[in-house]
Parts: sequence; structure tokens; C-alpha cells
Amino acid sequence: MTLLRAAPAAARTADPGARARRELAHVLGQRKLFQKALPGVMHAFIFWGFLVLFPTIIEAMLAIVDDGRSLPVIGQAPWFLFLVDVFATLVAVGIAIAFYIRKVQRPDRFRGSHMEEADKILIAILGIVATLLLWNATKIALGQTLHPSAEPVANALSNLFGAGQPTETLERVFVWSHVLIVLGFLAYLPKSKHLHIITAVPNVYFAKNGPSGHLEKLEIDLEGPEEDLRFGVATPRDLSKKQLLDLFSCTECGRCQEVCPAWNTGKPLSPKLLIMDLRDAVAGVDPAAGEPTGEIELQPLVPNAVTDEVVWDCVTCGACMRECPVDIEHVDTIVDLRRNLVMAESRFPTEAGTMLRGVEGPNQNPWSQPASARTDWIGDIPVRVLAPGDPAPEYLFWVGCAGAFDDRAKKTTQSVARLLNAAGVDWAVLGGRERCTGDPARRMGHEYLFQMLAEQNVATFADAGITKVVATCAHCFNTLANEYPDYGATLEVVHHTELLSHLLAERKLLTTPGASGTVTYHDACYLGRHNGRFDPPRDVLGSTGLTATEMERARERSFCCGAGGARMWMEEDAGTRINDTRFAEAQGTGADTLAVACPYCFVMLDDAAKAAGSEMRVADVATLLAEATLGEPTTRP
Amino acid sequence: MGATWVYAEVTPEGTLPSALELLTKARTLGGDVAAVALGPGATNAAGELGAHGATTVYASDDQVFADRPGRPAAHTLHQLIGQHTPSLILFPGSYEGRDVAGCLQALTGSTLMANVTDVAGPSRAQTEIFGGTKIVEVDLAGPEPRLVLVRPKSFPAEPSGGTAEVVMVDAVTPTGPTATIVERHAEAATGPKLEEANVVIAGGRGLGGPEPFAMLDDLAAAIGGAAVGASRAAVDAGWVPYAYQVGQTGKTVKPEVYIAAGISGALQHVVGMKGAKRIVAINKDADAPILKIADLGVVGDLFQIVPALTEEVRRRASS
Repeated sequence: MTLLRAAPAAARTADPGARARRELAHVLGQRKLFQKALPGVMHAFIFWGFLVLFPTIIEAMLAIVDDGRSLPVIGQAPWFLFLVDVFATLVAVGIAIAFYIRKVQRPDRFRGSHMEEADKILIAILGIVATLLLWNATKIALGQTLHPSAEPVANALSNLFGAGQPTETLERVFVWSHVLIVLGFLAYLPKSKHLHIITAVPNVYFAKNGPSGHLEKLEIDLEGPEEDLRFGVATPRDLSKKQLLDLFSCTECGRCQEVCPAWNTGKPLSPKLLIMDLRDAVAGVDPAAGEPTGEIELQPLVPNAVTDEVVWDCVTCGACMRECPVDIEHVDTIVDLRRNLVMAESRFPTEAGTMLRGVEGPNQNPWSQPASARTDWIGDIPVRVLAPGDPAPEYLFWVGCAGAFDDRAKKTTQSVARLLNAAGVDWAVLGGRERCTGDPARRMGHEYLFQMLAEQNVATFADAGITKVVATCAHCFNTLANEYPDYGATLEVVHHTELLSHLLAERKLLTTPGASGTVTYHDACYLGRHNGRFDPPRDVLGSTGLTATEMERARERSFCCGAGGARMWMEEDAGTRINDTRFAEAQGTGADTLAVACPYCFVMLDDAAKAAGSEMRVADVATLLAEATLGEPTTRP
Repeated sequence: MGATWVYAEVTPEGTLPSALELLTKARTLGGDVAAVALGPGATNAAGELGAHGATTVYASDDQVFADRPGRPAAHTLHQLIGQHTPSLILFPGSYEGRDVAGCLQALTGSTLMANVTDVAGPSRAQTEIFGGTKIVEVDLAGPEPRLVLVRPKSFPAEPSGGTAEVVMVDAVTPTGPTATIVERHAEAATGPKLEEANVVIAGGRGLGGPEPFAMLDDLAAAIGGAAVGASRAAVDAGWVPYAYQVGQTGKTVKPEVYIAAGISGALQHVVGMKGAKRIVAINKDADAPILKIADLGVVGDLFQIVPALTEEVRRRASS
């Protein structure tokens, strides 16, 4: 609590309406829990039971003080008695399901969780509802209830008891047991992972509004007082209030672990274990010594609580955050840990240094290619390259570094350019004035470098009078659309699949769906899960004539290609490779083409195809559309 | 100011360059300069240390310093500090230097600044932040002596032509648990380093497996002074170790001649070798991007071309 009071607040109070609606959906409605059917039912029974049964605790306490007394108004109301009876039974069913999941199904997501603690809590809850039902049953047996038929379960149980003295004693035993278990539970609660029944409520309220791909701005004030200077999170004291709440909201359910690309390919990172390890480190801070202005030296979280490797394994795909029932924001915390490692300690995988130097260097792109080569992809395609002072186009086509320099991504760029021309769109490119958006630096934790690039690019947009941008790179798209507004940009940003789907709907692009074959589409994390664009690429593919088939992990549950979070620029030597895993899944659909909508996915999955010696073609949605509309040659990249 | 000391790493084979670099810097700070050399080879090194600016060399040839890492040297230094009260001690940012400095800091409780790129005075140092994009000056507070770990090659080594008085010291061997060096193993290196070779021959996915790399080794041996590298695809496939990797996330090479065999030329690879003076590419695919940047492109089967090239190089070398 001392830490929590002293922690910097995250700016998480805007739009209380949206926060209240999320509270209704995620807490009362249990929406994210129902992402898994059986565990969802289990939890909803227990949670809704907990809400309904709350008055009965007070009722039991009253009955201890004054036998025979019940709550005014609802105490003897048949509808309330009925609800109590039904929900107490549902809670018991929920507990049975929980034990079935934990002891029979034993899913791998629980690996590393505290299983015994969960057992204790479940047994305590079972004890609470069992004593409640039995107490009600004895009251029926003793004739103290006006409407026994309103309580079918307790009524049935009442047959176990006679009407005499032993039942009167048992009635006292059950009500006392009920209250004592409840009180014991309350005493145990603060030290257990079950604390989530309190912390989850504010944690959901203070969760991020808007797209999950939006990282919050880190204020770097080099001129301010030295003690206020923070480069992300180094010690427990640097965690924001929301980040601390996150740690104490985790119930170790492991839904995040189950979907994590790093964990699933044998790497040390598990989002669940990360949160647990950080929580243990924070809980280990001696509260007496941890006065906000105290002199104690707090241990750095990396590598004491979590290892460097864990921090660098993350692809920032957001699958963990999407699954988390209590809206823990793992990725934001990981990026904050990276910020400290990169900016304060210069500690990061060395091979990524080439990218950082490139982004910062004179050419300002990850591959250190000359800025003049940004228009090399154009060839004989009619393209307007904006010179300073030129009139602004309707759409600026943000080519991106990969789109300008990578041979595979260039094909996507060329396809988009041809399609925009065919549809008669008023568009242009910045050419050599474009530079990296700063996304790879930002996901690495180099916030300072990102902010420099953001400010430069925003100034270029303003200078050229740009209002609408179309981007082919999902990472550029996310950064331009969600993060640049923090640096003064007022842009309408669309992804090329959105614009193309719009042009198709407007019949500005006409297809001759003659293409044959089957295609499966890989959702890019920063287009799909982080930004909710699931349908536009599918709509575009639908118009090509190709037969679409879905991978098992698709849309919100898509599995990363392995390049996000600047992993594109790092070696992947632990476990198996994420791109190989994802490509094998795509191959499993039997489709002959794997469609992508992001140059990172393109490079990663095409490399995996080549490594597997597969004939499966990897191509961008735009290229497939161009072939269907313009009859472009279908050469393998 | 008080004296500046340099922790000089010595071996029976001689003094390490870091000691001479640090002495050269120490001379410019004002005050007496002394070197502390511990371990076999220490007294022999005194002449060279004196010639680079040490007026005193505290030396011990005791074998314990070579057998046990860190702690004996730190405890011996701690005793010397008690006797002579230096203001500043410079350590090389090497494994040994970090080990000794860290241990000594625990004994003295004084300030230890690591990763330093320049020393401006007895209590002022420079280091880099933001991944090397900003340089900051730091004040070293707290009790003397301040301990500073300096990055290798931060200063040039320049002789002063002086001589040093050698003061022999006894090794202080601490009690308690300790690590002992049981074996030393030098990693065998064949041929020049990838980054330093005049000719680099690199193999890619087109080699199809680890065995054909022997073919590239043969060609490298025939040329002489050539090193063998690989593309990321070949490294990811496990055919050769990561140390071979040329490219964005591997090594950057700038040889006179770069021979790419079975490498398609993905951007990731090209970034690491585009600085080569001449690029020769051998690829069976005439559309491979590598052929666009090659000075000489050979479209054909590398399994025929490479052995033939090796043979031709050998023939010309012998004639």
C-alpha cells in the first residue's frame, strides 16, 4: 500500500463512460472469462453467486447475535430465498467444475501457478455455500422458514434432519461455521492471489481505453530535477499505480501463458510468470523501510525479479492482454522495463544495435539504406513524389522502410501503387523525405529516439499539408494512427487493405474473379488484435476469386509471425522459431497461398516457407488483388 | 590531489594494452601515478609500466592471483589503499577488472563508476547513455579512492620514457568461500577474423546443408587470408554457428572481395556486406536480388563452380 500511494499515477481517468461500460462488460458480464467456455461458466457461477449471496452473510451474522432474526424486506421474501438457493447450488457446481478443470483436465496454462493456494480457496468457498445450504435446510426442518418450497435444494436437504433438539444444535453449528469460514476467508484474502476480487474492479476501470497497440508517451525532461528523471521502470518504485494494481490482480489463471508465442515456442517468457515474479519482488519490499521518501536502496527488477532474456523475448503481440480477464497490461510493463534497460543502462541484445544506429543515423531507417533509394521501387509506375511546396494529395501513401527497401515488401508497394492508380485515387509519396516512424526503436524501449523521429515526421506532415495517410505496414499504421496524435499529428490513417476494400465497395476497382486456388490469411497483430481490422483484408481476398480457409488461430486469436516488439532485429535462438511454428499452421490448412498484410509478417513467413522448402506461396493481400484486377504476373518473390 | 593508481593487468607473456592506455591517461590528471600489478609477470612488467608513466609499481608475482579470480587482488589492493590513500583508481573494463573493482568496492564502500569513456579529473568521469547517443559527465561523490572502470581503447597508449620504483607487496588471501580457476582453454581460431579478412566467402540456403561449407573452407584455404561466413538462413538452419553470420543482426564486413555462394541477397544479408569493394555472386536463380548488386554474377550450379574455382586458384598459385 505504501508503494501504491507513492506510485506515479497513470493518466487513466478520461472518458469515465467507456470505463463504466467496460466495468459492466468485463466484471459484471464476465465477458473475457467467457472466451473460454467451461472455465467461463465456472467463474460466472461463482462470481454471480458471490454477488447474490452477499446479503446472506449479514443475515447469518444477525442470526448469530439474535437467533431467528432475518433481514428486513428480503429476508423472508420467496424470490430472494429462491435466488439464494439456486445461486448457492450454482456456486457449488462452479467449484465442482473448477476441480474438474484443475484435477482432471489439468491444462498446461497452470504450470507455475500456486495450485495448493487455489485448492484452499475453492474448498473455503465450497464450505461457505455448503454451510449456507445446510443451515437453510435445518431452518426448514425446524419450521423457521415461511416458504420452504421457494428453496428446492435446501428443502430436499431438510429431509436429512428431524425437528428435534439435535437439529437445533446443528442449526447453530452451521450458521457459526458459515460465518467463521467467511471471516477466515476475509483474513486470508489480502495475502493471496484471491485478492483479485477487490483489485480487479479498479484494474478493469483504469485499463487502457482505445487500441491496445497504443503505448503511452514517456515524458523525458532532461532539463528537470535529476531525481524526477525516469527512463521507464528500473525498481518497484517506478511502477505506476496501474502497473502495481496489475500485479495484485493476477489470479495465475494462465490464459496469457497459453497464447504467448514466446512461451509456446519454448522461451523463458510467460506473461503470467512475469507478473507473478514482479509481484513477488514488489511484495518483498519491506513496507516499514519502503517509505516514499526513505533511504532504502530498491533492487532493480531486471535481473533480480525477471531476467533480461524474459524482457527481450516479448513480441508485443498483445495476445496476453486480449485474454486477460482482469485487463492486466503485460506489454506496457515489458516496454517500460526495456526503456530503462536501453536508455539508462544501454543493455540490450547487441545485434539490435545495427537497427538502432540505422534508425538514428543519417538515413534514418533500420537497414541504413540511402534515403535516395526510397524511390527505387517506382520503376515505370506513374507516381507523384511530393517536393516541398507541392499541393497536398488526398492520400499520402506512407511506403515505410520495408516497403521501400525490402525486395519482397517492394512488391506489395508496387501492387498498391498500381491499384491506387487504377482506382483513380489522388495520392503521392514523400520519397526521400520519409523516415522511419520510430516504431522499432520504441518497441525496443528507445523512447528518446522514437520521440525525435515522431516530431520530425509530424513536422513533415504539417509542412506538406497531409491529412490522410495510407500505410501498408501494420506497425507504421499503428504508430501513425494511435501514437502520433500524442506528438501533434491530426491525421486520418488507414491501412491499405481498408482503402482497397473501400475502393472495391465503391466499385472504383473492378475485379475479374478468375483466380483459382485456396488462400489462408494471417492476421498481423498490429492490424488485427491491436487495432480491430479483421474484415478489410478478408473482404479484399473475397473479391479475388480465391477460396479462403481459416487457420485455427485467426482474427483476435491470431498467432504472431515473430517480428513484433523489434524481435525482427534480434536473433531467436531459444526454443523453436515463432515464424516456423506459424508457417506450419498455415501449411496445415492445405491452402496454396498464405496471404499477409504487413511487410514484417511477409519477411518472417516467407523465410519460414523457404526454410521448410515449401511450395506454399506467401504474398500480400494487395498483390493478390492486383493479380485479380490488373492481371499482374504471378511470380514468386 | 592524491595519487592516481592504475590496476595493471599482467600475464607472464607481458602487460595488457589496457594498462598502458590507462597510465597514459593517468599522467594527464596531475598528482603521482602508480601502477598495481598482481600475478605472475608483475615484476617483469614494471619496466614497461614505468615507461608509460608509473613512478611506483606495487608488484607481486604470487601465483594466487592467477589461480583465484578477483578476491585476493581486491583484498591486496584494499590493504595497499589503507597504507597509501590514493584518490582515484582506474581499472580496465575487462572481465578481471570488473571482478576486482566490484569486489574492492564492497570492501571500501566508495563510489564505483563503470563503463566510463573518459576521465576528466579525480572526481569526474564521462559515460554514454541512450545507447551511446548522448554523453554525460558524472561527479564521483563519497569517500576516496573513487573507483572507475574504463572501456577498452578509450585512450591511446603513449610512452613517457620514465622509470618506476618497484615496491614488492605481499598477497592478502581472504578467508571464506572462494572460486578457483581449474582450467584455461583458448578457443582455437583458424584463419583471419571475419571482420578483418580481405576475402570473405559466404554460403547461404543454396548450400543445402552443413557439409558443403567444407567446400567454402577449401576455397578460403586456397586463396589464403580468406574467411568463411554465412547468411542468416544458413545459421538459422543450424548448418554453421552464429559467429559466421553476416548481415543486419550478424557481422558487418568490408572485405576487398566478397564471394556469395547460394545466397539470394535478402536485405537482412545485404546490409552486412554491401561495403565490400567487389562482390561476386554465384546463384542458380538469375532473378536473385544478389545479382543486382554483384560486380560479377555467375548464374549456375555452385557445386560445380566453387570446386572449379578452388582448383583454378591453386593452379595459378603454384605456377
